[in-house]
Amino acid sequence: MKNMKTSDVLMQWSNVLEMVYESRIDSVGLNERVNSLATRSIKKDSKLEALKMIVTMCDLTTLEGEDTEGKVSQMVAKAIKPNPLDTSVPSVAAVCVYPSLVSVAKEKVQNSNVKVAAVSSYFPSGQVPMESKLLDTKYAIDSGADEIDIVINRKAFLEGDYRKVYDEIVALKEVCQDVHLKTILEVGDLKTYENIRKASLISLAAGSDFIKTSTGKLSIGSSRQACYVMLKSVLDFESMTGIKAGIKVAGGIRDAKDAIRYLVMINEEMGSDWLNPELFRFGASSLLDDVLKQIKKLQTGAYQAGYYFPRG
Amino acid sequence: MVDWQYSESIESSDIVSIKKKYSNYIGGKFVEPKSKKYINTISPSTEELLSKVPLSNEQDINSAVKSAKEGLEVWSKLTPNQRSRYLFKIARLIQERSREFAVLESLDGGKPIKESRDFDLPQVAANFFYFAGWADKLDLSWATKSLKPYGVVGQIIPWNFPLLMLAWKIAPALATGNTVVLKPAETTPLTALLFAEICEKAGLPSGVVNIVTGDGSTGSLIVNHKDINKIAFTGSTQVGKLIQKSLAGRDVGLTLELGGKAANIVYEDAAIDQAVEGVVNGIFFNQGHVCCAGSRLLLQESIHDQFVKKLEKRMQSLRVGNPLDKNTDIGAINSKEQLDKITSLVNEGVDDGGELFQTECELPGNGFWFRPTLFTNVQPSYSIAREEIFGPVLTTLTFRTPEEAVEIANNTEYGLSAGVWTEKGSKILWTADRLDAGVVWANTFNKFDPSSPFGGYKESGFGREGGRHGLLSYLKASS
Amino acid sequence: MIDIKKTYKNYVDGKYVRSESGKTYTKELKNEFYELPLTSRKDIRDTVTSSKSGFIKWNGLTPYTRMQILYRLSEMIEGNKESYIELLVSHGMSKQKASKDIALAIESIIWFAGLADKWEQLAGNLNPVSEEYFNISHQNPIGVVFSLSNSTVSLNNLLLSLLPPLTIGCSVISYSEESSVLALKFAEDINNSDFPPGSLNILTGKFENILDDVSKHVEINLVALHKEIENDGLKRIQENASSSVKRVVSLPSISGLSSILPYLETKTVWHPKGT
Repeated sequence: MKNMKTSDVLMQWSNVLEMVYESRIDSVGLNERVNSLATRSIKKDSKLEALKMIVTMCDLTTLEGEDTEGKVSQMVAKAIKPNPLDTSVPSVAAVCVYPSLVSVAKEKVQNSNVKVAAVSSYFPSGQVPMESKLLDTKYAIDSGADEIDIVINRKAFLEGDYRKVYDEIVALKEVCQDVHLKTILEVGDLKTYENIRKASLISLAAGSDFIKTSTGKLSIGSSRQACYVMLKSVLDFESMTGIKAGIKVAGGIRDAKDAIRYLVMINEEMGSDWLNPELFRFGASSLLDDVLKQIKKLQTGAYQAGYYFPRG
Repeated sequence: MVDWQYSESIESSDIVSIKKKYSNYIGGKFVEPKSKKYINTISPSTEELLSKVPLSNEQDINSAVKSAKEGLEVWSKLTPNQRSRYLFKIARLIQERSREFAVLESLDGGKPIKESRDFDLPQVAANFFYFAGWADKLDLSWATKSLKPYGVVGQIIPWNFPLLMLAWKIAPALATGNTVVLKPAETTPLTALLFAEICEKAGLPSGVVNIVTGDGSTGSLIVNHKDINKIAFTGSTQVGKLIQKSLAGRDVGLTLELGGKAANIVYEDAAIDQAVEGVVNGIFFNQGHVCCAGSRLLLQESIHDQFVKKLEKRMQSLRVGNPLDKNTDIGAINSKEQLDKITSLVNEGVDDGGELFQTECELPGNGFWFRPTLFTNVQPSYSIAREEIFGPVLTTLTFRTPEEAVEIANNTEYGLSAGVWTEKGSKILWTADRLDAGVVWANTFNKFDPSSPFGGYKESGFGREGGRHGLLSYLKASS
Repeated sequence: MIDIKKTYKNYVDGKYVRSESGKTYTKELKNEFYELPLTSRKDIRDTVTSSKSGFIKWNGLTPYTRMQILYRLSEMIEGNKESYIELLVSHGMSKQKASKDIALAIESIIWFAGLADKWEQLAGNLNPVSEEYFNISHQNPIGVVFSLSNSTVSLNNLLLSLLPPLTIGCSVISYSEESSVLALKFAEDINNSDFPPGSLNILTGKFENILDDVSKHVEINLVALHKEIENDGLKRIQENASSSVKRVVSLPSISGLSSILPYLETKTVWHPKGT
């Protein structure tokens, strides 16, 4: 992981602007490429490995008003041992909760390598003054969060105030320091691929360690198309700065098959460097259960029922 | 961290049963060649013998043409609606057996199953469906009743899209009321012979479609037959010229779909990532065995380095190998002869001073293979920038202004296709207007549709295939 | 000594020029003698150069302008009707037939003038492709057309041999043997109209002299033969043409939409429809 001091200026604003205004994407061509990548099939041996890798890339998430300490404890237990009957199944990458529940989660993960992530900056809308966002984030970090998931200011973005979007992320990154910052673009609000690319580049230039597709609160979550736009942005950002940023896809990743398609795309387009939880994450709770089923299916040759696996 | 391996996901070839020996399809029957001679057809990916097909001689062609003449008697007396229904039926039967056709196409021709399954076969069926609907609307097509069928049409097709080229030829010919004698390419005759079974199954009147196999000499017998009313040829410009010459002074219609050396122009304001994909698809689709392949990449100087870097990276992910593997992007080169030709042109390019980049993928042991290849630092005078290579070899040239791009693009005897990449609408239209090319793909490449006319300017031939314009290739104005 | 009454020159690039060979031939029409240029190989070369630039100029005009230039031509002929009739009569035509011919010729020009800004709508169309693409087939004029005019002396026939390609923006080299006097008289009306130099060049002579040069010239894009060529001649033309895949049309249709089809190249443009 890169260690970036907040005073480091990754890119001059004028360079960011230039990149943003040169965001040109042909949606039909992009869709065709993404669809063609979906036709790849992977070897059976690689498949088991891929499924376990997906587990290590999962962020188990609960972000509801009804969340309680009990609910969070249950989820953390599952995060540490997704399948208590099979020790070959690794822990997930992180659990993701609201700031008020960070301390509970942190206490439960203990010595495991499961990280605690908090959504902050008034997730999911972000429609509050900057001071509140900073406070929210600071509170989460003070409570022990290893990772912070923030949302971009879509209001500013859609109004064309890209500078404001950028400045806010820079300010939040300053609060985060070495705490891992994931910036949610909320691609379902941005709609066009060019907007997704612009938001990706702004977020990356402002110091995000990860860019993330969605809050999971909209009906339109992640898509392989959006992920493709983001990965191309990450690659272009890398070729300009040498910094490898990560991608988190969240919302709408239905099953193991779908997740594998994401990994195939990452592998083909970015290379195997990105095939690790430091640089690629899935945020999807129902995905994990399907992956666990598929692992067991590969091991036993029989299709599985959900009740074999603990609730998260 | 992970060594990611794609499975060899092999499409089963059990679905196809290849006979040891095939016959010509003449007069609605499979008949052994009077020549008593056969030629071998091998699988270019393994070099294994697949089967033997007739090497048809003059007597065979005589009986095929005679049968087509007799077929014409029946075919022309049917109502347009009846002709239409036969074509619909053929389309449906092809759909039903499309997996079988796709596997056979990949075995015999070497193209990846991904393409034969997802491109060739759906397009074949679509062509029959499309022209089926024209058969009873010919008077509406060009608002005249004065267009009449030629009669007996001789059709000679190439090996790059064996069944699709058959569909491009037979569907419009039958829809317009002609009957045909078709000769598939020497190296890829099997799907055409399987198509004969479809004609049989559809109950097509005997003699309407006749399929004879053979080599160049067989083709020449068709061209020179006195009872042929029209020749439709797809193949090299060199052979096309010979055919045009052979027909001189005779009242025989002719359409030619010949070679190309298409420019794929990428302006600096293109959507670069999609342009890279389009360039890859433009030249590596079907091993580059595509007459309209975007074989000359014209890059605006300002983006040359960035673009080439992305392109090389993307090329590395191309998988060359077993055509029946669903993960294969690039299959086998169609024949030893073609492989030798590609190799020699590439060597010439290196000798001329072109900078060669080839991907690092592993190649299978047997069979005919060629690595995806990119030339940079090429001058327009090099043979790799002028001659049709017909393989997975891309040549890069640079330009500074739109005027210069158009000038370089048109600086060739060919005029089949061209590509333009820019996000600026007016520049697309400006460029497209100035390109001497029958098909211009703007912000895309190698797209085909039965409703979209295809065919060349200049020495890439004359006549169009597909669309309303494609009907004119099989109809002549009569008073 | 023959008393030469009238000397005609070829009409090339908007100017009257002698054959560079200096050769002429004489035609006698009802006691009047016409001296006409015997076009040479070099004349063909020069004419093609002019026609190439004429094509760019003529095709560069808007269809609306081409329409008006063609219509203006009909007015010119209308104004010179009597002299055309007189000339046709001197070719042995009855006065009545000659008047009819001129009337038909004017009708033909008006028909084609009105087509100049419509043919693209009739010959091109959108294609309903199955994917998310805008796909349109439209037409380009093929370029430089060499047109050998009909052996029957008739202004209408002469016009019908050059109007179809001219209307759609091709430049035309009109070549006459039998109708040479008529063709060069017609050149005067062309000269007085607004045709850009080189858009229509008018030559006369013996076709046999230049048959090979015309059919071999790579920059002539199409050869249209409006009269029967004895079989060996046609064979030679088509054989020569094959070396550059040149289009040769023998006795093309001269009426309706099908009259222009041989002179068109269909260009199909694809573009994705996306956001």
